[in-house]
Amino acid sequence: MNAPTRRVDAHDKVTGTVRYGADLTSPNLAHAVFAVSTVGKGRVVNIDTAAAEAVPGVLMVLTRVDASELGSPGFVMGGGYGFQSLQPLLDDRIAYRGQPIALVVADTLIAATEAANLVRADYEVEPIAVGLDAEAAETLVQQEAIPLPFLADIVMGDADAAFAESPVRIEATYDLPQQHQVPMELIGGVVGWRGETLVVHEGTQNAGALRGGLARQLGLDPARIEIISPYTGGGFGQKNSLQPHVGPLALAARRLGRPIKFVMPRTQTFHQASFRPASRHRVRLGADETGRLLAAVHEVDQQTSRHDLFPAIYTEITSRLYGIEHFRGRQRLIRTDVQTPGFMRAPFEHPAAFAFESAVDEVAYALGQDPVALRLANDADVDPVTGQPFSSRHLAECLRRGADMFGWAGRTPEPGSMRGADGTQVGWGVASGAYPASVAPAVARLSAAADGKVTVGVDGHEMGQGIRTAIVRLVSEDLSIAAEDVIVYVGDTRVAPQHLTAGSWGTATALQAVHAALRDLRKRLDVADSDPVDVEAAVAATGQAAVDVEATTVAPGQPPEIIEQSRAGLVAFAGPVYPGFTAFSFIAHFAEVRIEPTTRRIRVPRVVSVVDCGRVASPVTAVSQVRGAVVWGIGGALRERSEVDPRYGGFANATMEEYPIPVNADIGEVEVGFVDEPDPLLNPVGVKGLGEVSMVGVAAAIANAVFHATGRRHRRLPIRIEDVL
Amino acid sequence: MTAIVRRSGGNPTNAPDGGLCLALSDMGSSEATLSSAIRTETTFTVNGRRVQMELDPRESLLDVLRERLGLTGTKKGCDHGQCGACTVHLDGRRIVSCLTPAVQVNGQAVTTIEGVAAPDGTLHPLQEAFIDNDALQCGYCTPGQVMSGLACIAEGHAGDDDEIREYLSGNLCRCGAYAGILAAVRETARRTDSRVGEG
Repeated sequence: MNAPTRRVDAHDKVTGTVRYGADLTSPNLAHAVFAVSTVGKGRVVNIDTAAAEAVPGVLMVLTRVDASELGSPGFVMGGGYGFQSLQPLLDDRIAYRGQPIALVVADTLIAATEAANLVRADYEVEPIAVGLDAEAAETLVQQEAIPLPFLADIVMGDADAAFAESPVRIEATYDLPQQHQVPMELIGGVVGWRGETLVVHEGTQNAGALRGGLARQLGLDPARIEIISPYTGGGFGQKNSLQPHVGPLALAARRLGRPIKFVMPRTQTFHQASFRPASRHRVRLGADETGRLLAAVHEVDQQTSRHDLFPAIYTEITSRLYGIEHFRGRQRLIRTDVQTPGFMRAPFEHPAAFAFESAVDEVAYALGQDPVALRLANDADVDPVTGQPFSSRHLAECLRRGADMFGWAGRTPEPGSMRGADGTQVGWGVASGAYPASVAPAVARLSAAADGKVTVGVDGHEMGQGIRTAIVRLVSEDLSIAAEDVIVYVGDTRVAPQHLTAGSWGTATALQAVHAALRDLRKRLDVADSDPVDVEAAVAATGQAAVDVEATTVAPGQPPEIIEQSRAGLVAFAGPVYPGFTAFSFIAHFAEVRIEPTTRRIRVPRVVSVVDCGRVASPVTAVSQVRGAVVWGIGGALRERSEVDPRYGGFANATMEEYPIPVNADIGEVEVGFVDEPDPLLNPVGVKGLGEVSMVGVAAAIANAVFHATGRRHRRLPIRIEDVL
Repeated sequence: MTAIVRRSGGNPTNAPDGGLCLALSDMGSSEATLSSAIRTETTFTVNGRRVQMELDPRESLLDVLRERLGLTGTKKGCDHGQCGACTVHLDGRRIVSCLTPAVQVNGQAVTTIEGVAAPDGTLHPLQEAFIDNDALQCGYCTPGQVMSGLACIAEGHAGDDDEIREYLSGNLCRCGAYAGILAAVRETARRTDSRVGEG
């Protein structure tokens, strides 16, 4: 077998030779820094830039841009391109703390930084609402505010009546905080002009939106914009759309006739980009005495901004985790004074699963049933919402195999019954997870050359998930050629539209297109559809220097012309409900917690996670994906909360010291298993999504383990030392 | 080395995104002189190569490596010494280059990720072990992890898993590649030990 067993870009990453957006250097680069609002809401009444302009080396201080030069990018979830619709610097309004009020460009970063700190503004301040409970927050019923079918409340049967009649009833409210993605690579890159062509080097998950959005904002022909993003230093949803710094940088670079480097200071990434909104979940579960779940009501309030409606899609999975006949979802949006929140790994599913899977655990304890057995007994045969079959569903297998790997049979059921010799409280918890298996339209271009090498250009972004490795594996396995002979270009608008890579559809989407292009390539090379190919000889036989093919694929049921939406840089994915089937990835997590007797520190020495993600496209990178997602789950369960101050707005712990993402010493053993059954319906490659489902349910498994350890139920994340004193 | 250094080295607020400037502007009259042409001649080696430059004392070693010397393997993740992405070796000791004024390394030897592999491109065993254990995902923190891993082993802090985890906890990895990083450092440390034993 020729397929690589290691990550194909690992060599370049361990030698530091991979080039991220801000790694571009050139002698004529100018450097940019934004001055930002120090108030949470109001109006800039006066801005003094004299001191900033006097700093030697300062080239430009931009406090206002005319709307004729720079329009709104539109909101990515509202037919636009931006993480939010609000474009700073267009008027005097301040919508949130940390909003840019001036762009400073200078010869050096030192001068730009110094000057930005000398910009002084006077504000007219208005009262702010920062949390779900703020008096000035405004509550909207989602299905009325955004009347789109996929955002409507999911209702099956009569859940309220069935709940009222259930012999066993659990009713509880779960709170999840704002959190930030904190990818290690800071937001930014280099923006410049090559003649009339705008060239942007920036780590992103959505080069297509950068191109489409800048075209809209600047009134440019998209053909005159190139977005180059071969590597993104982590995205996790924060880099999934056009950020508002790029447009002003493009204007400034044109005026100055110089490329501009911008690296957003870490603190500003907490305020100038998206974050996971706070959400509150009221869950009611009704069951009979045998543990059969009869009814579920899942009501969610989720934060959004004043200027955009970030949709809430929490009940999509909770309506399908089990075969519950009566279900009622309700999702409301709470407008607060923040930048628009957005997607952060398992954006809805992590909070939803924490709430729902905690409640399922409560049902198990109320009945004295084993939490694994209760889940197995309530597995769904078909999609309860549509009545359609699932394309594949191996959740029961995940639970059974995970229980074996974990040694679940050795668990004593009573809370507080497992203790270490030193008095350490030990708890074992389980939770299930699911994540929609979406697919996006994609273009794959393959070029087989006379030297035997195959170059692939395809929709997709490499954020570390290993998409490049999965593509190389597919091509090298298919043609039986060496991995070194496969060259992959992703994240580059010069080779493909570069639709958003998110929602765990990236690998399935890219592989489906590459698979289709490989079929075409074999035809053009006049070789059989499955045998090994001597590319060098086959290309030579055509008498051409290279053989080029291009394939376009779409999600099941999508019309071919949907690709035009992607070419425009707009979101165009489909799923999880397709004609004739519904597609989700599934997972089961088993966690052990240990609560130390004196410090009450909560440790997670081991986690077992078994995933149904269809066929595993790239085993090595897949294991890393799951392990990483478990780290995220541990962070979500025990560490991460973006603190807000109702007086000032913004986020108070906006540094990597004070926003505590897990460190190496926080992480114990994480054992990963895969069902590895190809999905027969979603795409010819048999791949579903992996990166997000892997996080779904981790926090619930940990919280359930804490309950098992202590007998105390925690319904608010993160669970910290002070909560278990 | 000329003697105009306005602030002593190692000041933790010396971060080019605001700390130092805010601190100085609080001092009032110093604002006007901040950007006057204070330049300090500084000589040091980077990966064995001698470098002589006129530096603004406010420039961090990280920014000098990246923006002036084109050594972009060293990464900026926070600019506050909190994430470890900018870890380099100074006279063999690991430091965070974002909190190190470049003028302070005068006369010293800096090693960056670009200087870890042999000149012929042969990887260091720890780099190989990072690849073998898939100790990375997005790769952005990886240069810093490698530099810290090398130091962790050299310091004798790779005795067991808990010790390795502790001594690598100054290097954040948001992708969560910690298990692979641990395995890579453990494996390399054992190999190094056995070589010493055979020695």
